[in-house]
Amino acid sequence: MTEPQGTVQLPPQLSTIAPEVDDMYYLIYWISVVFFVVITGAMLYFMYKYRRRPGRKAKAPGHATALEIAWTVAPLFLLVYLFHMGFQTYIHGSVAPDDAVDVRVRAMQWNWEFEHPGGVIDEMNLFKVPVNKPVRVIMSSSDVLHSLFIPAFRVKRDAVPGMYTSLWFEATELTDDRECEVDADCPEAHQCGRNGTCALPLFCTEYCGAPQNIQDSAGRNTNHSTMMADVRVITQEAYQEFLELGPPPPPECEGSDDMMECWGEQLYAVNGCVGCHSVDGSAGPAPTWQGLWGAQRAFDGGGSAVADENYIRESILQPQANIVEGYTAVNMPPYRLSDRQIDAIIAYMQTLSE
Amino acid sequence: MTVEAGTAVPSGDAHEGGDNYLTHETGLKSWLFTLDHKRIGLMYLVSVLVMFFLGGVMALLVRTELLFNGETIMEADTYNKVFTLHGAIMVFLFIIPSVPAAMGNFFLPIMLGAKDVAFPRLNLASFWIYGFGTIFAIVAIVAGSVDTGWTFYTPYSARADSSVIWMTLAAFILGFSSILTGVNFIATVHKMRAPGIHWKRLPLFIWGIYATSVIQVLATPVLAITLLLLIMEKTLTIGIFDPALGGDPVLYQHFFWFYSHPAVYIMILPGMAVVNELIATFSQRKIFGYMFVAMSSVALALLGFLVWGHHMFTSGMSEYATMVFSALTFLVAIPSGVKVFNWVATLYEGSISFASPMLYGLSFIVLFTIGGLTGLFLGTLSTDIHLHDTYFVVAHFHYVMVGGTVFGFLGGLHYWWPKMTGKMYDEKLARVSWFLVFVGFNVTFFSQFIMGSQGMPRRYYDYLDQFQPLHMASSGGAYILGLGFIVMAYLFWKSLRSGEKAPPNPWASAGYEWMTTTPPHPHNFAETPVMKRGPYDYHLCTEEELWDGFPEDFEAKKAKA
Repeated sequence: MTEPQGTVQLPPQLSTIAPEVDDMYYLIYWISVVFFVVITGAMLYFMYKYRRRPGRKAKAPGHATALEIAWTVAPLFLLVYLFHMGFQTYIHGSVAPDDAVDVRVRAMQWNWEFEHPGGVIDEMNLFKVPVNKPVRVIMSSSDVLHSLFIPAFRVKRDAVPGMYTSLWFEATELTDDRECEVDADCPEAHQCGRNGTCALPLFCTEYCGAPQNIQDSAGRNTNHSTMMADVRVITQEAYQEFLELGPPPPPECEGSDDMMECWGEQLYAVNGCVGCHSVDGSAGPAPTWQGLWGAQRAFDGGGSAVADENYIRESILQPQANIVEGYTAVNMPPYRLSDRQIDAIIAYMQTLSE
Repeated sequence: MTVEAGTAVPSGDAHEGGDNYLTHETGLKSWLFTLDHKRIGLMYLVSVLVMFFLGGVMALLVRTELLFNGETIMEADTYNKVFTLHGAIMVFLFIIPSVPAAMGNFFLPIMLGAKDVAFPRLNLASFWIYGFGTIFAIVAIVAGSVDTGWTFYTPYSARADSSVIWMTLAAFILGFSSILTGVNFIATVHKMRAPGIHWKRLPLFIWGIYATSVIQVLATPVLAITLLLLIMEKTLTIGIFDPALGGDPVLYQHFFWFYSHPAVYIMILPGMAVVNELIATFSQRKIFGYMFVAMSSVALALLGFLVWGHHMFTSGMSEYATMVFSALTFLVAIPSGVKVFNWVATLYEGSISFASPMLYGLSFIVLFTIGGLTGLFLGTLSTDIHLHDTYFVVAHFHYVMVGGTVFGFLGGLHYWWPKMTGKMYDEKLARVSWFLVFVGFNVTFFSQFIMGSQGMPRRYYDYLDQFQPLHMASSGGAYILGLGFIVMAYLFWKSLRSGEKAPPNPWASAGYEWMTTTPPHPHNFAETPVMKRGPYDYHLCTEEELWDGFPEDFEAKKAKA
């Protein structure tokens, strides 16, 4: 049975494995309480009963081999049981179901990147998860050790440079994404995440250091303790739509009149187009985008085309298909962008040819 | 002529201005180049107390920073250096040498009825190496601005510069000191026991220190291997730990914990060793199940070598390895339980005094029980996944390392203070400081259990608002703890300045170390003692042996009767 409500000791159970883990936690907790009460109870009782008084002498202990062997061997049964139960749940949590959605997670100093099926890379530090569907996380790290920890799901695994590690979970409840200003505005176990909405916290739990004077977009110094992501559990339909449409425009563009142009400009910057393509007509390793839209393009090895939607699309997804004359020295890699993102780049390019 | 236990007690002349190890020689050189194990022990004691003070200041800085969210007194990168200093100083410079090197050096030979350790020059060398290693470590941390945490995990520690190599080099130098002390103690226990002290009469303090020495000798060389590999990687660019060169960072964790897990037992076994003496003396009763308690120390020492992987359940190690390490980890509970059960059973039908050393001894049982039981949550795989690298782990090991080892150390310090210094201390103040330390400790760390199980990760400079009240409580507890230590420092200072003269056996103990004069004779005993009874055989002791005042008062009492 799930207890979405948290307790004094544990956060709410928001994944299928959480109740199993918590049952084990409480079993050990009560065993510990019993042992603690018996041990300290006996100790306090003896302390009172055999306190030093005049005229009373301590008795020398005899041999109690049977008792010694009893309290050496008896706990062994309990320990074997605990090991067995703990291992069972651990294996359950280690082997992902066959129908799990694979999400690639790349940890890097002070950020998390999530790549969903179909190569959909979401905004940094935002982890969208479908409800009631197993999700397998395949992790890698590009620098030092990190560790992905979602307390409400009771899962954790290190991200190790040079190898893949994985974990899986199945979220059971939708995230309450009400608006907030501070963590206290959010329901239990939620944090006030990015864009001023509540989300479940995802922590980095393997110490990964702190730089000097590097600030995140909110102007805070980034370090191990700010390497957090928002987990947002959404409906399966919403997740499917997200996979088809790709990531939504960034918040600074969303809702504005020139949303697509704004988004295209942002993609131009974050995808590194800016490194080779200028937008002011200046020469560079690759053609400038100024005046590119609608122009006639002559290709290396003959042939030409007008720079229209299909041409731009091809140039992004298959850059080597047709190379403009004079630019054979540079090999542009293919970029995996969603249709909407390509539309946004086209919209931005159009503004550069007006 | 020999002194025979049960027939003779220390002669009265020594405490009346007779020769003792403090007055035998004077001058700075007589201390720095002494071969007397008692003086070396005392120098160790002063050094580890200085380190404890430094580590404690770092702890208070950490807790003050965490009082409020955001920047309270320092920036994030400073905070990382401070908690690294706290961990490294406390582990390598305070806890590891605390009981074995300070109290072990002072009391191991006396409790064996020996004149000194087997190799007195080696003993002095190990102190000097410790001193050099300490300076080296502090310089390495401060100059290299090490901010890796005390575990120095690669590749983070290998990235920026070579400070991790200097730090490991410091641990390596300190390791030599540990190894030499260990070898010395093992040889002393085997070869230097006074007539009558056979293995079944060995004080349990000695059993504990002996088991610790075995670990020190066997585990510490692994540190040297790790260092060699780090240097090879750095200078020859052979990929061993750094994935950029084709190495495996998880391998470093295996190496690190292959030493550092046994080192956990280097830390806790001596604490348990002291508690045996406290429980026996203040219950006036032989430790229940003596042989089981002695063997449980040996069992812990051996099991300590087999469970290093339980620090790495989430590291990406194979599922099979995880399974084996979890199963072996549960076995550690058996000898730990045997000790606790036997201590409680020792109280049964005892004659229990609540003098300040005993308060620490009894606290040890309670706190170590909590520390041990919370270990079950971490040994169990499914719950460890949730709790790993959270404050739950921080609280767990502080209950074992502070609630266990440090309480044992403080109990021993109060217990043996009169013997070491020849002065009594203010018992009332000692109880006040015990109370502050006990309460402060529990407030500090119990709140961290709840924070941890709620998901607060460790080594965090900032935290979610929901953890604010518990962080505040924890910091408040740390201030109470700090206050307790200030009172303690004052009472010991007062004792040195104006404490009453201590009789040879103020706690009416049957232990061998109380049979000598106070402070001890430069050669421990004026003549080689012959032991006719065990160190806990209260029922075989004469009234004179258990006399807690000055010998001449006993003579007067006898004459009156």
